Amino acid sequence: MLSQFEYIKPLVLDEALTFLAEHEQTYILAGGTDLIIMLNKNMIDAKYILDVKSIPDLDVFKFTEGEGLEIGANVTVNELVESDVVQSKYRALCEAASVLATEQLRNRATLVGNICNASPGADLPPSLLIYDATVKIASAKGERSVPLRTFFTGVKKTLLNKDELVVSVFLPDPGKQDNSIYLRQTRLRGHDLSTVGVACRLNGDGKVAIAINAVAITPLLLTDLSDQLNAKGLSEESILWASEEIKKHIKPITDVRASKEYRSHMAGILLKRCLGQLTGKEV
Amino acid sequence: MAQKAENKACAMTTAHAESMERRVRLTCRVNGQFVVEDIDPTMLLLHFLRDRLKLFGTKEACGEGECGACTVIMNGRPVTSCLVLAIEAEGSEITTVEGLAKNGELSILQQEFIELDALQCGFCTPGMLMSARALLDRNPDPTDDDIKEAMSGNLCRCTGYRQIFDAVKKAAKREREELKRS
Amino acid sequence: MSQPDYKKEMEQFSYKQHLDYESPYRHVGKGYSRADATEKVTGQARYTYDLEFPGMLYAKCLHSPYARAKIVSIDKSKALALPGVKAVLCGEDTDIFVGLYMQDKYVFARGEARYQGEVVAAVAATTEEIAEKAITLIDVEYELLEPVYNLDQALKNETLVHPNIGEIAHTEGVFFPQADTNIASLNKSRRGDIDKGFEEADVVIENEFSLPAVAHVPLEVHNCIVQADPFSNKIKIWSSAQSPFALRQMMAASFGINESDIQVVIPYVGGGFGGKAGIHLEPLTALLSKASGGLPVKLKMSREEEFNYMPTRAGMRGRIKTGVKKDGKLTAMEIVYDWDSGAYADYGVNVGKTAVYGGLGPYDVPNAAITSNTIYTNKVFSTAYRGFGHLETLWTIERQMDVLSQKLGIDPYDFRMMNMLRPGSRTITGELVTESTGSPIDCLKAAAKEIGWTGRKTEEEREREWKTGKVSGKGFAMIQKAPAMPANTSSSVIMQMCGDGHVKMMMGGVDYGQGAVTAMAQIAAEELNVPIEMVECRRVIDTDTNPYDWNTVASKLTWMAGNATIRAARNMVKQMKKLAAAVLHSAPEFLGHKDGYIYSLHRPEQRIAYKDLALGYMFPDGSGIGGPLISHGVCMADGLTNLHPQTGQGHPAAAWTFGCHAVDIEVDIESGDIHVKKIASAFDIGQVINEKFVYGQVCGGIVQGIGSAILEGYKFSDENVLLNPSFTDNKIPTMKDMPDEIVPIYIENKQYNGPYGARGIAEHTMISVPSAIGNAVYDALGINFYRLPLTPENVMLGILSGEKDIR
Ligand SMILES: Cc1cc2nc3c(=O)[nH]c(=O)nc-3n(C[C@H](O)[C@H](O)[C@H](O)COP(=O)(O)OP(=O)(O)OC[C@H]3O[C@@H](n4cnc5c(N)ncnc54)[C@H](O)[C@@H]3O)c2cc1C
Ligand code: FES
Ligand code: FES
Repeated sequence: MLSQFEYIKPLVLDEALTFLAEHEQTYILAGGTDLIIMLNKNMIDAKYILDVKSIPDLDVFKFTEGEGLEIGANVTVNELVESDVVQSKYRALCEAASVLATEQLRNRATLVGNICNASPGADLPPSLLIYDATVKIASAKGERSVPLRTFFTGVKKTLLNKDELVVSVFLPDPGKQDNSIYLRQTRLRGHDLSTVGVACRLNGDGKVAIAINAVAITPLLLTDLSDQLNAKGLSEESILWASEEIKKHIKPITDVRASKEYRSHMAGILLKRCLGQLTGKEV
Repeated sequence: MAQKAENKACAMTTAHAESMERRVRLTCRVNGQFVVEDIDPTMLLLHFLRDRLKLFGTKEACGEGECGACTVIMNGRPVTSCLVLAIEAEGSEITTVEGLAKNGELSILQQEFIELDALQCGFCTPGMLMSARALLDRNPDPTDDDIKEAMSGNLCRCTGYRQIFDAVKKAAKREREELKRS
Repeated sequence: MSQPDYKKEMEQFSYKQHLDYESPYRHVGKGYSRADATEKVTGQARYTYDLEFPGMLYAKCLHSPYARAKIVSIDKSKALALPGVKAVLCGEDTDIFVGLYMQDKYVFARGEARYQGEVVAAVAATTEEIAEKAITLIDVEYELLEPVYNLDQALKNETLVHPNIGEIAHTEGVFFPQADTNIASLNKSRRGDIDKGFEEADVVIENEFSLPAVAHVPLEVHNCIVQADPFSNKIKIWSSAQSPFALRQMMAASFGINESDIQVVIPYVGGGFGGKAGIHLEPLTALLSKASGGLPVKLKMSREEEFNYMPTRAGMRGRIKTGVKKDGKLTAMEIVYDWDSGAYADYGVNVGKTAVYGGLGPYDVPNAAITSNTIYTNKVFSTAYRGFGHLETLWTIERQMDVLSQKLGIDPYDFRMMNMLRPGSRTITGELVTESTGSPIDCLKAAAKEIGWTGRKTEEEREREWKTGKVSGKGFAMIQKAPAMPANTSSSVIMQMCGDGHVKMMMGGVDYGQGAVTAMAQIAAEELNVPIEMVECRRVIDTDTNPYDWNTVASKLTWMAGNATIRAARNMVKQMKKLAAAVLHSAPEFLGHKDGYIYSLHRPEQRIAYKDLALGYMFPDGSGIGGPLISHGVCMADGLTNLHPQTGQGHPAAAWTFGCHAVDIEVDIESGDIHVKKIASAFDIGQVINEKFVYGQVCGGIVQGIGSAILEGYKFSDENVLLNPSFTDNKIPTMKDMPDEIVPIYIENKQYNGPYGARGIAEHTMISVPSAIGNAVYDALGINFYRLPLTPENVMLGILSGEKDIR
């Protein structure tokens, strides 16, 4: 590691925000499962590492009936997996969280780190997108909330400014009778980044939401596709239609992990399987 | 000649002073013992354990969180110590493979690893043991899938995993029996 | 002559699964725990990676980012100026060669870098951080050259990876570099009359099979510590290496010094798989040590360097043409193996050479011709890898046998049985097969029976399963491999008895996980007829004290060091009996030995403890006879010869180990995922030495084989830059990727010159797993795949293509 950083561990949020505003080359450290690799491989030159894990404001992990779930920046992926609320209310998120990396990494990795790292193949964003997640962002200047949909701006890019920090992610209460699922394809059964992953939600009104990763420069919420599908109504036929149609809504590339042909094919298969399982239809 | 040597000494002190400035104090408990050390903030927990505390049982085999050879238990949870800054361990409780045997007696898990030959070259073994230990601590009666889930972040190129899987399963059973007895 | 009913023979064949295995011996065959297990489970085992010495420096390397580039200039001045840097070296500082069989490789790239990852310069500094920093301060100016990308381009010989190939010094008579080409060695073997063979055939089928380079992935990366005395020729090496004596010899050759000046110490080794045979980081580190005033220097690879800089298993393409009679009898087999061996020859040429005698499968083919080209390209170079080319050649042969049987409409089981080697047949090099050679037939019977082989899936069955989204398939593939070693390979063992009657033994082979020290102790305890606790085989190998062994490779250690151990132990017993005879007023022939006593066969109560003989016997009056008990045993390969350069005829095989993998898989036809439900593996190993270790080899080899079959492989960019130099994209199987069920089956047809009849088993457990899976995929899908790996993606795209042959 060539970076010669100083380690800063503020105990209150304001202190962190002021530090961020005043110091260039500061990197926020959550679980470190992305950041420390970047440091080890000298992909970044850090002057300051700002460890946010001792800021109580970021520990928030709270569900309010009728409102929703707030997941603070310090909540780890395994805390999601183990949470009753996530298991019962946001099944897709629970499933995505439980396939992310390995047991060891899930104990460190955070949900907020996962979205801030903004990898197109990240596992958690699809399951957040289908729940219309919003991101609460703070800086010394104040707070703002943005829909997760608009948060990603490119490969490893977000709309965060240098002086900003994500406080939490908020998921509205999906109500009862809501169900969701996350399925992904990998090269082996053991830990792997997803070749492609699909999250689907079927809400109480029988409407579907679909999101997908690793097939574009950012994770995608496929609103056009779900609108069309919802207009058609869910049937074995429309599910098969959607699993073909999805290929028109994505822009996969060929890289070392998979070819665009395979990604495209699997997007369709995974969508079909998600919808099949959610609706109980055999397709 | 003397001039030159002096210059060099000067340069050395500045370099040294610079690095001293960035030093931070780390206090934690490793295998039950208090540790207080001044370290560079860039030091990884893995290297702190190995290079500073000379606990060479914890292995390094990738440095990128993929292989699990560096797994230690931190505050009750297994983590890959190559992705943790040493200073992040401030105030924490860490167990390494050296902390498994108590009072000169091998733990049941270690005994079963030996009995079922869950090791060949042994390089993955400490990490495997730590993942298994953490699993059995949080789930004394794991299903087959639980074992695979908990252990699949640890790569082994020698054994093909079969014996490791069997050893964890058998150790779990023996530990449960032991618990019932006591 | 009417054909035997092969299936009926299979049904009648009985064998034992490993769980039912029983050994008739006191120690040999028993599943003892490994002697060094406690150190390994407590974290006490010290690997080279864990060693540090006072004053030790740390080295780091600078690698070429280009596959082929001229090195125009290197400026080291800034790096040298960094406080803490002790030495910076590059190509212009040394003209020392490192070469195993061909002197084709400088320690540092000199003038030209020949693969992406090749070391261009290196630094030794007081800390790792300083060394890492210093590397960034070295300025290299490159001039890009067009690389030799692949086999096809290499074979055009327009650009030569080594323009001086005609002059490269090499092991003459064994390897045959072709001047003005990229062929590092062209080896051949010929049996019968190949043209006549094809004339006699009713059907002739040609195919091409290929597979990419893969990484060994020992968990402990390559690393070493070297201390080179600047005032003498003395060099001391601690290394994570497989072959201390080969390393010593090659080091001496490189530096032009005496072998005896070099001391090699091998502590615990975290896996090798062939990648740590030979010589790798040691010369470079020695030069750094010398340049730093003789301080010990440690160099360890990062995982990325392990993928990028350290050698691999070569990519391979096998072109095979087979002639066969309608009734299934093979008449001719012509094979050309092209090895994409990368920029340097290393062990690669020997892998290529081995293919000419090991690359025909366990079949009796009257007319056969194998040509094997080890080819230079601008890629990371290749070396030995578990199986030494046989996984690759079996991917060719055993897939071809399956394709042939499809075309002939013969059951692949029957087809193999018809052509299998049996006593009386001859191999391609003319070796006669006898009862002592072992039986591939027994292995096929057992493995196929274990998976319930009844014949290929019918089209109707397939269609029915297809509708469920998952199709199952069964397949099998044979194994045959002998150690690839020089005809005069030898091993040795020394035993010494301590004052307590316990025996300490030393050998020259390394136990890097296979359990050799325990296995040797078992053999010794058997011969000495003592409890196992009374024998200890030394774990750390030190060339200054341990006796010689050529190399720890080729699955030959049990066979060779095992024989040496028997001889050493018998010699020790003989010495004890001679001494005891004098004391007991008896004759050695009248004495027995058991449990630490030499006793009179006729009057057993007259006996002397081993411990009372250990340091010489002392009479009641204090006088002594005899002396400290020391014995040794050696083993020279039995009757091997070099192969004839044109025909390949000769005796290459110390021991053929035959075997068969049979698999039952399920293919997800929507995703292409292959799931291995069951794998039965039968090997004719002659005699199990340690049941636990054989089981360990089988499970480990199978999972590594599954890696090669469905997962692993190097991917290169258009510029021949490795795209997947990390675990992120160069995966190996995890615990979740184990097959559901593994059934090892041990067949024990004794080899008359093996220790207790044993043959080696280590590499074998891996090498036909990919071909067996490939055959099962055909059974499932009715599609033939010709390229590995069978990743979900490759299988799926194959299914989607609608083709029946995915080439
Ligand atoms: C071996 C391995 C396997 C992996 N497998 C997967 C996988 O299967 N699926 C997957 O999706 N990911 C995977 N990852 C990636 C990684 O684990 C996840 O992205 C993880 O969720 C990141 O969280 P973290 O807390 O560790 O983030 P960190 O590394 O701490 O941070 C990640 C980035 O976000 C920034 N950041 C963190 N917190 C904040 C904040 N509050 N505000 C603003 N910026 C912030 C950091 O500065 C950094 O740039 C894997 C990583 C490794 C090493
Ligand atoms: S060394 Fe930490 S996971 Fe590999
Ligand atoms: S025992 Fe060698 S890597 Fe697991």
